[in-house]
Amino acid sequence: MLKVLRLFLTVALLVTVTGCGDQRILERLGFIQTTSYDLAPRKENESEQKLMISVTIPRPDSGSGSGSGSGSGSGTGGVNREFLTAISSTSKESRIILSRQTELQLVSGQLRNTLFGLSLAKQGIWKHIDTLVRDPSISPRVKITVVNGNAHDLLTKNYPFHPRTGQYIDRMLEKESLSQIVPKTSLYQFTKDYFDDGIDPIAPIIKEVGDSVKIDGIALFRKDRYIMRIDPKQSIIFALMRADITQGEISVDLSGENRNNEHVTLSSLVSHRSVKVTPRKGNFHVDINIKVSGSVLEYIGVLDLEKNKDRSTIEKLVSQYIRTDAEQLIANMQQNRIDSLGLGKNIRSTLSYAKWHKMNWPDTYRNIDVQCHVKVQIKDYGMFTK
Amino acid sequence: MKWSRGTYNPPGTDNKQEDNKQTDDANVPASLQHTLDNFKDCTDLIHHTFPEINVNLVYFGHLVGSDELFRDVITPLTNVRENEVQALLTRNQYKLTPDSKSLIKGILNGQAAIFHNDKAYLIDIYKPGSRSIEQSETETVITGPHDSFIETATANLSLIRRRVKSSHLKVIKLEVGEVSKSTVYLLYIDGIANMEYVRELTDRINLIEVDAVYDGNMLIQYIDDSPNSVFPLFSTTERVDTAVSKLVAGRIVGILDGSPSVFAAPSSFFEFMASPDDYYQRWSTGTAIRVLRFIALIITLTFTALYVSVTTYHYEMIPEALLLTITESRSKVPFPPIYEALLMEITIELLREAGARLPTKIGQTIGIVGGIVIGQAAVQAGFTSNILIIAVASSAIASFVIPSYVMSASIRLIRFGLIIMAGILGDLGIALGIAYLVVHLSGLTSLNSSYLTPVSPNNFNDWRDVFIRAPFWALTRRPTQSRSPNAVRNRMRK
Amino acid sequence: MKEKLHPFHISVLVFMIQAGVVVFFLPRMLAQYMGYNGWVAIPLFSVVATFNIFLISIVYRLGDGRSIFQIMEQSLSKLIVYPVYTYLIVVWTLLGCIAAKQYIILFQVFVFPTTPIMYIKLLVDIIAFSLIIKGIYNISKAATVFFWMVIWTILMLTFFIKGFEWVNLTPFFFKESTNVVVGSISIFSSFLGYELVLLLFPYVDSKKGFMKAVYFGNFLTTIVYLSISFVCFGFYSFKQLTKMKFPLVDLLAYIRLPFVERVENIFLALYLVTSLMSITMYIWAATETAKSLIPRANKRWITAILVCCAFVVSWIPNMLSEVELWLKYLGYMALGIAFGLPLMLIAILVIHNGGKKIA
Repeated sequence: MLKVLRLFLTVALLVTVTGCGDQRILERLGFIQTTSYDLAPRKENESEQKLMISVTIPRPDSGSGSGSGSGSGSGTGGVNREFLTAISSTSKESRIILSRQTELQLVSGQLRNTLFGLSLAKQGIWKHIDTLVRDPSISPRVKITVVNGNAHDLLTKNYPFHPRTGQYIDRMLEKESLSQIVPKTSLYQFTKDYFDDGIDPIAPIIKEVGDSVKIDGIALFRKDRYIMRIDPKQSIIFALMRADITQGEISVDLSGENRNNEHVTLSSLVSHRSVKVTPRKGNFHVDINIKVSGSVLEYIGVLDLEKNKDRSTIEKLVSQYIRTDAEQLIANMQQNRIDSLGLGKNIRSTLSYAKWHKMNWPDTYRNIDVQCHVKVQIKDYGMFTK
Repeated sequence: MKWSRGTYNPPGTDNKQEDNKQTDDANVPASLQHTLDNFKDCTDLIHHTFPEINVNLVYFGHLVGSDELFRDVITPLTNVRENEVQALLTRNQYKLTPDSKSLIKGILNGQAAIFHNDKAYLIDIYKPGSRSIEQSETETVITGPHDSFIETATANLSLIRRRVKSSHLKVIKLEVGEVSKSTVYLLYIDGIANMEYVRELTDRINLIEVDAVYDGNMLIQYIDDSPNSVFPLFSTTERVDTAVSKLVAGRIVGILDGSPSVFAAPSSFFEFMASPDDYYQRWSTGTAIRVLRFIALIITLTFTALYVSVTTYHYEMIPEALLLTITESRSKVPFPPIYEALLMEITIELLREAGARLPTKIGQTIGIVGGIVIGQAAVQAGFTSNILIIAVASSAIASFVIPSYVMSASIRLIRFGLIIMAGILGDLGIALGIAYLVVHLSGLTSLNSSYLTPVSPNNFNDWRDVFIRAPFWALTRRPTQSRSPNAVRNRMRK
Repeated sequence: MKEKLHPFHISVLVFMIQAGVVVFFLPRMLAQYMGYNGWVAIPLFSVVATFNIFLISIVYRLGDGRSIFQIMEQSLSKLIVYPVYTYLIVVWTLLGCIAAKQYIILFQVFVFPTTPIMYIKLLVDIIAFSLIIKGIYNISKAATVFFWMVIWTILMLTFFIKGFEWVNLTPFFFKESTNVVVGSISIFSSFLGYELVLLLFPYVDSKKGFMKAVYFGNFLTTIVYLSISFVCFGFYSFKQLTKMKFPLVDLLAYIRLPFVERVENIFLALYLVTSLMSITMYIWAATETAKSLIPRANKRWITAILVCCAFVVSWIPNMLSEVELWLKYLGYMALGIAFGLPLMLIAILVIHNGGKKIA
């Protein structure tokens, strides 16, 4: 009897209950791929600074083939995208406005990238990131990118060689971050650094240049405010100091080291960094040891790569170059009181809880003594001798 | 209680009707007239008379071998005189049969009845026509023995005896079916098999009340522990080597006369995933194939369900690279994924069923019509998405990887349940469905032993021959499920 | 019951009762209440739990394997025993139903935000019911399968080896802890569940292996909790962890495989089985108690009634916060049972045995 009842109940339930309201049937969804946040141009007699939020939604190309077209999808037209923009005071409010503009149900589970306009980034972006982190459908892997200029404009533009702008940017960042030279800043990473008192977040910066988008260095934040930018040329130096690099390239113009018209390009860079902290009466001495090894694929100059002595000269020159740039970068960051390298974490590890909290880290940071020790090693120099 | 070869008849197991008949026939002395009355209108009965020596011979011509008939019956009888008949019939191949019931039974079992002077004798010259021993159609292997069981139980017995040359191989003969009176042989190896199982199985077979049983797979449904379960609780096989391996593992093997499907008990769910091929290949290959089969099991159960779940609820699980492909192929489909999936699954089942019922030559046409025409056309017409076709097809293929046809059919049925659950509650539905399945499975027993051995009750020792196929030097113990009194392999207690 | 429980099954059963929805937010609770490096506290809690199991093992030894109901009934009057039984039934039934509800509400945060909770709850309850009526032996069999279905997911933690940073762990221990007492109890209740082995006495196989198995089950839980929390503390920064509602879900969401992303959707559903086992065992325990309260009643009907009651009661708390509040108080009560019941039983046994000696 119980068995029958049980069976009946189960069947009855299954028939009546369906997660109908919660269905997200694939083809009825508009997957937001990229969102851009900007400050809306302020209108007159408007006290509140509004946001301009745009989203791109990739859509399968439906225009090319009529009903008979097979599902192969290799149409020449490629794939369209839908572009929506709204101006509102909060980002979630904008979702409601945006969704009025399309027949699709807007969902953010496939969000890959968020672009923040420079002017907004300067004001602080945490409140927007907070809404992203809060939403359970958004992946912690969503990228955070700063746009040097207006994010909306960059996103709205169609780049002739790259049919879907959102995906284009996303893939470019993905590729570049493989070598760790461009930081892989995801929601997870940003939140982690934001809440950590020993490090400040960073993010890649991109910029529109004519028919393409280029990576324009690294944005350094103090808490959630954009403070300064690291030039793409120096990104590698910054990366060497921040983390271990598994693959990279550095091109060195040795004219800075009193050797005119000499250039070296080291590729297949592998680096290892270690940080050593030595406390010194109310201050700290920090040694950043960087070991770099790579192969020389290009050298223009007077030295002979075949000779051990000359190679070690090049090694020294490159080390010197990296060290000078690195220390300059650090000085710059110290001046701006941003600890993007996470030296605070290292110092924290040597201290007791009370000491760490008694000290005002951002102020102390300004005065700590940081030294870089760079050791470059040339593994090989190509497969052709002069 | 003493256990020996021969028929075991526990008291009170036959039903009432049988009892009455038994007493009736048992009381009637065997006589020619009574026998002929009994077989009235059986025109296939042959009745020879030898008036000169006062002998009557009754048998079914098609059940006996003509060689044997001439050698053992006709020739001796024609060569003797009347006074010598009595002496002839005392030879031990002629069995004096006093009661009519056994006489009739004997004739039905292919013996010839000889009536002489109010006495009846039976001589076994049974040689039914049967097909020759061939390769099994349903359980093929690439390497390994290719003979398989046929419909004649004695031939099957001989196949097994030839492989187990041991006096420890015992055979119990039982009868099943009120009308059909089919013979069932229970085989076990004395000293390896657990006698409790033998007793239990004998009792269960004796308790069957049915007119006729036609196949081993049918028989096991009368004797297994929960007939309502979707799962087959005893394994069946047509392969001799498989049957022998089960015997040696301490299981009991049952042969039903008239069926090439031989069953083995007790069985566990995981036993259905093993194929003899695993043992004929190197152990690393065997292990890889076995692991592949478990992957196939998971694919069969969940692949289509996951498709439904992902396209209906969990769109965020799709990797970016696949997103547009899937969306595009879905975009022309007018139904929600659940209906689309059920439609395709049913189509595949239709194809399979049609293919199974049709002769091989036409069956191939079905493959072409179904595979190419329907598959291609359905996608082009925007009826289904091609990703779904891939999902459905691969889970169908995966289902055929499961060596046991009966098990694979059960799994395919369960898959429908999971698809529906996925359509209702997504991943949670699948999890609920699987949880329910596990709950159901853990309640199942095979001959009172857990159906989920060796996972629960857990026995890591057994895992070596379940989830992998360990090298033979590592397979030193018989499976725990058979509760063998002699658990270590290769060592027979004398 | 003919079949006896083997030690391995006891371990698995203990693990499956202990582990539940709580793994999803245990790291956050540790960060909030225990402060920096809160994961270190887990072994401490585990030691307390081990001590509690030790108490149970004394009961087992003194009682000579008798069921606790026999022990109680032999020396206490029914007037005392019955209220105790009623208390046990109520607490265990409620724990069962609220734990299930917590899981479903949590699931709803992520998927099916608008589907009626109680529908899903009913489905879960039906499965739990069909498991409970199969008896403890089959429950343990199902638990073993569920265990294998779930335990391999711990391997997913290896995914985070790359993102793990020792510096995130910081050298500070238990700094910035808040509400240590309340927090400790909350965290400790995530270890609760082993107290149900008190009811397993009549069903166990070997005398020696039994208690060892319980210790091992608790150890297993400790290892799992510890590794999850440890990874969370190393993968997230401390302040971040205190703010994350369900760190484990976030952790799983971070995993990306080539053919599937956001695997937390699957795992969240998969962990249904751990909750299912908790409900099953708590209601089973309640049923066992009810059976001694009313020996003549039909076990199936008792189960049915208890499951129905549990279902009806679980209508009441509706929001996650309410459920958490209920669980907090139920946790206190269960904690009382976990320590109180063995102590009471030991007292009974000591007095009883002592009395015998004198007589």
